[in-house]
Amino acid sequence: MLEKLRLDGRVAVVTGGGGGLGTAMCLALAKAGADIVVTDFRVEDGEKTAAKVVAAGRKAVLFPADVTKSDQVNDMITKAINQWGKVDILVNCAGIVRDEVPKPFWEISDFEWHRGIDTNLTGAFHCSRAVAKHMADRQCGKIINIASGYGMRGRRGSFMYNVAKAGVILFTMSLALTLAQYGVKVNAIAPGLFQTWGPKERYDASASFIPMGRVGQPAEIGALAVYLASDASDYATGEVFSIDGGALFSGYAPIDYIPVIPLNE
Amino acid sequence: MVLEEFSLTGKVALIGGLGQSWQKEMAGYLAEAGAQVALFGKDEEQMSAGVKKAQEMGREAMAIAADVTSYRQVERMVQTVLKKWQRIDILVNSFNLPFAKPLVETGSGEWQKAMSANSIPVFICTRAVGKYMLERKEGKVINIVSGLAERGLPNGTAYCASKGAVVQFTRALALEWARHNVRVNAIALGWMADTVETSKKEWQDSISHLTPLKRLGQPDDLACALVYLASDASSFVTGSTFYLTGGLMAHG
Repeated sequence: MLEKLRLDGRVAVVTGGGGGLGTAMCLALAKAGADIVVTDFRVEDGEKTAAKVVAAGRKAVLFPADVTKSDQVNDMITKAINQWGKVDILVNCAGIVRDEVPKPFWEISDFEWHRGIDTNLTGAFHCSRAVAKHMADRQCGKIINIASGYGMRGRRGSFMYNVAKAGVILFTMSLALTLAQYGVKVNAIAPGLFQTWGPKERYDASASFIPMGRVGQPAEIGALAVYLASDASDYATGEVFSIDGGALFSGYAPIDYIPVIPLNE
Repeated sequence: MVLEEFSLTGKVALIGGLGQSWQKEMAGYLAEAGAQVALFGKDEEQMSAGVKKAQEMGREAMAIAADVTSYRQVERMVQTVLKKWQRIDILVNSFNLPFAKPLVETGSGEWQKAMSANSIPVFICTRAVGKYMLERKEGKVINIVSGLAERGLPNGTAYCASKGAVVQFTRALALEWARHNVRVNAIALGWMADTVETSKKEWQDSISHLTPLKRLGQPDDLACALVYLASDASSFVTGSTFYLTGGLMAHG
């Protein structure tokens, strides 16, 4: 049964493969047996990830692309298919939070709005569209969209990210229903807060609001990505899998509000 | 290797079952991943089949008859397991009483029975085992529920409410125990083969047709999700419900 988790002979494309979670998922998929097409517009970061995959004993290649540009994405997917003859797995992990800075809502520029939506949502559309026909023709394939707990909850001062991630979740559902007839499965992972860059101290304040009392380490997302990329999850499609230390259902009461109220008849 | 994270070698799993034919299969999956397994409940045929499956995987296993609505009996069962293996790492709650009837024809007794059969054993077993997990500051609880915890069904009011209760149980308790390193998650199944709900051929056909992946679920479909949630592979996952429904949750 556990051998169903193996990805030997599979080819995975991971967008945002140079980032924290992207790198972790590339490595996990590789360790489960997959060869990896890393894609990222940050060439140096992408190269580092590819080198780590090779060091882990699998093949890796970097095809840089900006996911907001459909011509670059189409080109990247064509190269990816040509590289080893197929693509079995697409992980849409490219995203940015950089524009979600504390400033008045009325000062968000057109550019910032579009960049947030384009990177976090339209990028997943571009990549999925580019690879879907190939997967449908082969009657198999796994698309994993990286959403966020913030795709199901609001956050003060955060607009493009939350709205786009909510879009990613609905995109996951509709695409799953659309591609089900071709044997292609589409699911989303909704991560909570992970220590993707900078020192642990940077996350201390946030960690105190996470039920488990800590942020996630990027490596912790690996096994879930492997599960969703593998045959082991073949009855799951259009689903959202949260991995967040309990954060999704907290926040209704203060984290230290632990009342004791007797039951009176 | 990432797959090592899924290993349950040296772990002890309890699987409580009532009315679900995959209790024995789950014993096989957890044993295959390396766990020693104790099955408890009242379906002796089911439990001994589970013991056999676990032993075929080369693990120790046992069946313990217990009334899962009796805290005393469940606690005694826990003591028996601790005496034998000195630890409990995983608790799987898989209790199910199907029931469908128009609400106006549903008697108070029927309502109470449906609500309690589907939720009280989850409370009792989790409380009895959880107390011990909290002391050890380590444990995983996995509740097996249904997609009907989040969706409606004509004549299914009592059943849907009872399953929804277990999902909310999962979410609330996950927060309560999060800082004690005891994780609480759920797996929600869709329409499964070999159940009373899908016992008629015409139901099977229309349900399969509605399901995006065009088939009923099989016990195998939950195997790796179960091992994932039972193992260190899911170390940052708590309060989650994994819906394995063939795509049903995406439309509606």
